[in-house]
This record gives sequence, structure tokens and C-alpha cells, in this order.
Amino acid sequence: MKMADGIAILRRNKPGTKAKDFSRWPDEPFEEMDSTLAVQQYIQQQIRREPSNIAQILTPPEGQDEGVWKYEHLRQFCMELNGLAVRLQADCHPETCTQMTATEQWIFLCAAHKTPKECAAIDYTRHTLDGAACLLNSNKYFPSRVSIKDSSVAKLGSVCRRVYRIFSHAYFHHRTIFDEFENETFLCRRFTLFVTKYNLMSKDNLIVPILEEEAGTGESEA
Amino acid sequence: MRVPGQCGGTMEDPSSQNHNGQLGPSSGGFCAENKQSDEGNQRIQYSIPGILHFIQHEWARFEMERSQWEVDRAELQARIAFLQGERKGQENLKNDLVRRIKMLEYVLKQERAKFHKLKYGTELQQGDMKPPVFDEPGVAEMPVDGESPYTSVSNISWRQGRQLLRQYLQEIGYTDTIIDVRSNRVRSLLGLNNNAEAEENLNNAQPVPTALNGNEPVKTARKSQQPTSLTEAMMLDTEAAVLANFEFLAQADVDLEDDDDISEDLDDQGDDDQDDVKTARRKGKGNDGLSDDVDAEAQVVLNELILLTETEDNTDGRHQTDGTEWGSGMGFQSGAGPRRQMGFINDEEAPDSTLGLGELAQLTVSNEAEAFGPLASTKEFRKTWNAKYTLRSHFDSVRALAFHPVEPVLITASEDNTLKLWNLQKTVPAKKSASLDVEPLYTFRCHTGPVLCLAMSSSGDQCYSGGLDGNIFCWNLPNPNIDPYDSFDPSVLACNLEDHTDAVWGLSIHKQRPQLLSCSADGTVKLWSPQSKIPLLSTYSSEQDGIPTSVDFVRDEPNRMVAAFASSHCVIYDLETAKPVVRLESSQEVLNNVVGRQINRVVAHPTLPLTITAHDDRHIRFYDNTSGKLVHSMVAHLDSVTSLAVDPNGLYLLSGSHDCSIRLWNVDNKTCVQEITAHRKKFDESILDVAFHPSRPYIASAGSDALAKVFV
Repeated sequence: MKMADGIAILRRNKPGTKAKDFSRWPDEPFEEMDSTLAVQQYIQQQIRREPSNIAQILTPPEGQDEGVWKYEHLRQFCMELNGLAVRLQADCHPETCTQMTATEQWIFLCAAHKTPKECAAIDYTRHTLDGAACLLNSNKYFPSRVSIKDSSVAKLGSVCRRVYRIFSHAYFHHRTIFDEFENETFLCRRFTLFVTKYNLMSKDNLIVPILEEEAGTGESEA
Repeated sequence: MRVPGQCGGTMEDPSSQNHNGQLGPSSGGFCAENKQSDEGNQRIQYSIPGILHFIQHEWARFEMERSQWEVDRAELQARIAFLQGERKGQENLKNDLVRRIKMLEYVLKQERAKFHKLKYGTELQQGDMKPPVFDEPGVAEMPVDGESPYTSVSNISWRQGRQLLRQYLQEIGYTDTIIDVRSNRVRSLLGLNNNAEAEENLNNAQPVPTALNGNEPVKTARKSQQPTSLTEAMMLDTEAAVLANFEFLAQADVDLEDDDDISEDLDDQGDDDQDDVKTARRKGKGNDGLSDDVDAEAQVVLNELILLTETEDNTDGRHQTDGTEWGSGMGFQSGAGPRRQMGFINDEEAPDSTLGLGELAQLTVSNEAEAFGPLASTKEFRKTWNAKYTLRSHFDSVRALAFHPVEPVLITASEDNTLKLWNLQKTVPAKKSASLDVEPLYTFRCHTGPVLCLAMSSSGDQCYSGGLDGNIFCWNLPNPNIDPYDSFDPSVLACNLEDHTDAVWGLSIHKQRPQLLSCSADGTVKLWSPQSKIPLLSTYSSEQDGIPTSVDFVRDEPNRMVAAFASSHCVIYDLETAKPVVRLESSQEVLNNVVGRQINRVVAHPTLPLTITAHDDRHIRFYDNTSGKLVHSMVAHLDSVTSLAVDPNGLYLLSGSHDCSIRLWNVDNKTCVQEITAHRKKFDESILDVAFHPSRPYIASAGSDALAKVFV
């Protein structure tokens, strides 16, 4: 990233940019972001700076509307979950994981269909992510990314519950994949803290013991 | 329908001659006329050029038919507008007459009262003696015995109607049609003229002075009214009203107040027209300098007009002006344009009339544009693209998009690591907005980083995506009617071309061969044959030029490719020898200051030896492939130009930029045809890709606001 004095920094990924330089530009203060996508920009900027600093990532800028903040974070989670889905595609076969399960307690039914269906785990994963993408981009519920109706914010909870099952399935059935992914992205940890902070899921449903593990290894999270 | 017929004839003639000339009797089987003449003597021999020619011929025929339909449609539309105008005119006329009757009644009552008073010395009680009151503004104040007895409609509504019709004419821009309709009108006027003449005879009973202004004859009528009987006066009034109506139809706004600017202008125009007609008559049938069909046709109409004016000459000087004004005002707008110019040479009123010519000139221009050919004319008709579909489902910037070669289907690639398949025929009705929402049918997941580029195979069965992870994935396209929540099919991913060691930024697919070009931030351009066992065919790299940013196959030289570099260099390579063939020379200014001139996209023109590049310095540059010289350079946007697409016929160029707009350019004259603001900014990026559908009228743009939009 070349930076000449007096020349405004252009935060662009021009064709030919090397992978290591992709989106590597100096941080832009939130106050200076005048785009309608400022919250997304800010969240991504914080994640890029240090993906493990979850407390920082989950701290909204001052005066930020909470509905939009939660919405943009959930978008980011669903987007990053694509990475986990890609890894699962290689390992989670419909023959071996015929049902979406985590612990033996529940079989999750796929809500993407007219009548909830007992999809194979990989299908459940894909359908849930596709369905979340449709809902979160729906012109009906989320026509704006600057202000969001309360009735639409209420929908975020159910999306959280469904996508969390992808974490739990990976954790209980594809542990190596889960660990690899988690070490790179800290996504499950971030997600757990996110839903706890904003009360989007009940504690009983958070079955991946990710925070406890950390407490065990001595790292403390906010 | 004469003009289109003639056009059709002239256009068909050379083609059929061509056909005969090239094919000869040997391939006569293709053509019905030939077949008849050569029947029995010749065996049918199919040759590739023959077949091609036949297909081209057929295509030209279809195009011509289509343009014919367009002509017909435009004509009918013009007719509708015309009839609507006429209806309005009739209504005005009716109102006018009603008012006149009331007025006359009033006058009659007054006369009676006066007579009664004189005779008996007492007031006559005859009921309502108030002057008639009219609702219409501008009429109510009309003096009963004033100078202006027949302002039927206010100026404003006349001018509105006139403006509307003019707008309409400009919109359709189809002078041939207009002339046709016009000539019809002239003929029908001639029919009407007989009636007018009959009335004229009545009028001739009175001495009619040669008048200059529209109100003159009415004044005479008024004057004559007093001594003669009321019925005759009424007749005259009616006639005046009819004439006034003519003038309305002629869109010539005749105001009765002499000091009114508009009326003066128009009267001048009318006079000019008269002069012009005369000039034209004097200059005769030669009509030098104006030799195209339209003018020839206009000449015919003009002759009719002359006939008309001559008839009217016998009766009334003023009516001649009326007639001419009618003809020219109504239909002649464009056709009369050049002729008027002729008249101006010795015309005092020229300045006034040039105002009118400004609009007329425009019409003539659009007329010229029509002459490019059937294809151009259809394009001409659909000038504006409007956003129709919004594709929302990505979570982050949409980096690339590609249309299916036939179906209304497209694929988008995004920084959210996925690609999505969309079928534009499967829409979700969106409330409160004109644009339709489409939901994706399939999500392609395999990239572990942002997907940066996309290419669709010419069969539409497969597509290729390049990502920041350095992979190029080859995907088998699912059926465009697939259930979006079907079970996972691993065979959608056909293969992975993983030789690049850094982000893949550009892909291009060969139109005929199953070959793929890719360029990467690792500094190489690679040629692939994705279906083969060893897909990588060759690798090209250039120390001198640096990192390639975009590649494309050269269309007219199937063994060449053009690669653009971040260093703003652009080089055509021979694929076999892997050697540079032509360096597309950067202009002097670029050489002097290379910083910030990076090429973001290079595309090869589909038919011409032309390469088009999109630069960071807001320019689009055109290079000649043979000489390597810069043909044209233009500042195309307010910010970096990021993407380019050329339509399949090579007539239009689409460009997208970080200034949030996409622009459509005419490749021929390099002018901007349309600009659409399409996407919002994320950081400093806005529009990242644009595309033309290869066979359907769709264009699309992809933006960093995670949306893709399709325009129709």
C-alpha cells in the first residue's frame, strides 16, 4: 500500500493486488465513514485488525443504533460461516451425517422447506446459510442497512439459533475441521459472546463449550 | 406506407443482387427466385459460403421485417396521437360554436331591444339580457363586439398541446412516418378544402382584403355582419371558427392580439412557410443538395401543398397562408427543415424562425440515425435502460458477473467467498417498487477467499471462477429451474485449476475453443484447456510489464490474446509462440507519468481489430490491434474506470466506475448514450463489473454494496 503525503488514501483492491495486500489499508475512523455501509466497513476493519480481540470487535462505536449493529454482525457471521461450510463440504457426507445433530439430544429439522424436513447435515448447513442470506437481504424485512424496524430485529434471534447449529454439528462430529477453522477465525467464540451480549439465544442452547474451554486454559474473555 | 416501402425496396435490391452475384446458379436452391429460374437444370449444391450467405440474407430479411414492424408501430402511434389532437380540436370547435351561438343570441336580443325602443319608445321585456358568461378563462373577458371574436381556447392549452405533439414527434423521431401521415393529412385537407371553397364563395360576396394576420378575415366578417342578415354572419363566423380549428391542428398558435409575441412568431413562421413553399416552387423539382428519400417524399407532399395553395390562391390570400401553415406546422416539422433553410437566404424574418429550426434540426439528426440500418434503428428505439431486477443475497461486494449465453440466467461472484446462480424468470414480486427481486437458485461454495473473477463457457454448461485463494474452479451449471433448497451435489464442482500462487484477477474464455485464460497477481498469465487431463497449456510472464490485471482473447485473431498490466502496458501475445506481437503503445502523457494509470480491464472488440482499456486515471482508451497505435482516448468517468463490456454486435460499450455510475457508449462515435447511477460505495469502491447478455437485451452491474442489478 503506497502512501504518499497529501494524496488521499484510496481504500481499494485494484486488479492485480496480491492476496496478502488485499484490503490492507490504513484504518478509517468510524466518524469519517460516510457510506451507508459504514457499520459493515467498521466491523470488517476491526476483525481484520485483530480477529482474536473479540471484545473490541463487539464494541459498537458511540451512538450506534443497536439494531443495525446486531444485523451487520450477523451478516458478517453468516458470511464467514461460508468458510466453515466449504470445509464441511469436503468431510461431511450425507451418507455419514444423515441428520443434523449435535449431541444426541436433538435432531434439527431444516426450516428452509415448506414443511420442515430432516435434511442431511451438509444440506441443512447449506440450506440454513442460503435461507439466512435470503432473509438478511430481504427487501421486505431489511430494506435499509441504516435503520431497521424492531419487528425485523426480532427475526435475528431465530437466524442465530439456526446458524449456531452449524457450529455445534462441526464441533461434535467434525472436531478437527472445527478446531482448524476456529483457530483461524475465532468465529464460534465471537458468535457465542455476541449472542450472549445481545441476548439473542438462551444459554441452554449454547452447547459448544467454547468459553469454558478458554476459562480452563486460563484465557479470560470479557 | 410509401416511404418505408421505398426504403425497403432500395435496401433489398442490392442485397438480392449481391446474392445472385455471389452465389450464382449453383446455390440457387437457397433462394426462391433463383430456384424458379434454374429449376431442373441445376443440382442443389450446398457450400459453406452459400449457407452463410443464405443465413445472412435471411437474417437481414428478418431484421428488415422487424424494422418494418417498428415503422408500422411508430406510424400507428403517431396516428393515435394525431387523432387525439384532432379530437381535442373538435371539442374546442364545439365549445367555440356554442359560445358563438350564445353571443349571437345576445346580439339579436339587443338589436330587438334597440328596435323596440326606437319604434315604441319603451324598453322591451324579453327576459335575460345579460351577456353570455363562459367558464373558460380568457374567454369570459371577451368583448361582445370586440376585435377578437373567436379565441376559443386559451393560449396555454394550445401551447401545451403543441408542445406535447412536438415532443412526441421528437420521441419517435421517425420522419418517414410523419411525412406519410402528413401527406395523408394534406390529401384529406384537399378534401376539406372543397368544403372550405364552398364556404369561400359565400365569403366572396363581400370584398375581402388581402390580410396578413389571422384575425383579419374575421374582422371583415364582423364588419359585414352588421348590414347583412344574421344567418350569413353566423355562417361566416362558423367558417372563421373552422379555420381557427385548422390552425389549432396545425399547432400554430394564433393569437388575436397583435402585440402578442407568440402569435407574431408563429405568424412569421407561417409567412416563412409560405415563402418557403414559393422558394421551393421556384427552385423546382431539382432540389439540389437534398437528394435523400425523405426529401423526395417531402417533395411529393410539397407538390400537393402547392396544389393546395394554388387552389386557395383563387379564393383568398389569407387562406393560402392558413393552408401552408397548416401543412408545415402539422407534419412538416422535420421534413421542411432543410427546405426552410433554403428559404431563409432571402428572408427577413430569419432570426425568429431559426428558433424553430433548432428543434427541427434535432429531428433531422435522429432521422439520420435511423439510416444506419435495421439493427441500428431498433437500438435507436430502445435508448434508455431501466433497472428491473435487483439481485440481493450476497453479504459483501459483488466482484464479477457473467450471463448465460442464451437463458436469462446469470452468475455473480462475491467477496463473501460464494458465487450465486440467478434465474431472472423466477422473481419475487417486490412491493412498492418497480424493480423485481430475484432469489438465488444455487450458491457455489468452494473458494476460501473472495471470488474475484468469472467466465462463462460459450455453451453455458460451465463457468469458471478465480479467487483470492489462487484457485480457479470450474463449475457445472445446475439446471436453471433447480429447487433452491435441493440436496448438495458435489458434482457441481467439476475441477480445480490450482497452478496460480496468488490471487486470480482475470479470466477470459475462448468463444470457439474450450480454452481459458487467467491472469494472476503472481505475475503470470496462463492458458488452460480445462477439460484435458493436463489442463495447463502454457504460462506467459513479462518482467518488463509486471503484474497482469486483465486478459482477453483477441477475437479476429484466434491465436492471440491481449494482456493488460498494472504498469499500464498492454500487449498482444501470440499464444503459440508465447511472444509479444504488438505492444499497444501508451500515449506520450501516459509514458511520462505512469503512476495511477493502471489498466483495470481490457476487452477485445468482437468484430473489429480494436482493443479497449479501462484505466485508473478515468480514461477509456481504444487501440488499433494491427498498428498498436492509440485510436482514441477519452475521460469517461469521474473516477477510476473499473470494468468494460462490449455488446455482442460491437456497437455499444458499457463501462463501470468507482464514481458509482455505469455508462453506455456508442463505439462508433464514442459518445455517451446513457448514464445510470447504480451502486453505493463501500470504502472507496463502487462498481466492480458490468456485463451484456450475449443474446438478450439485458445489461448488468455488480457493486461493492453487495448488490447486482440487471437493466432492461
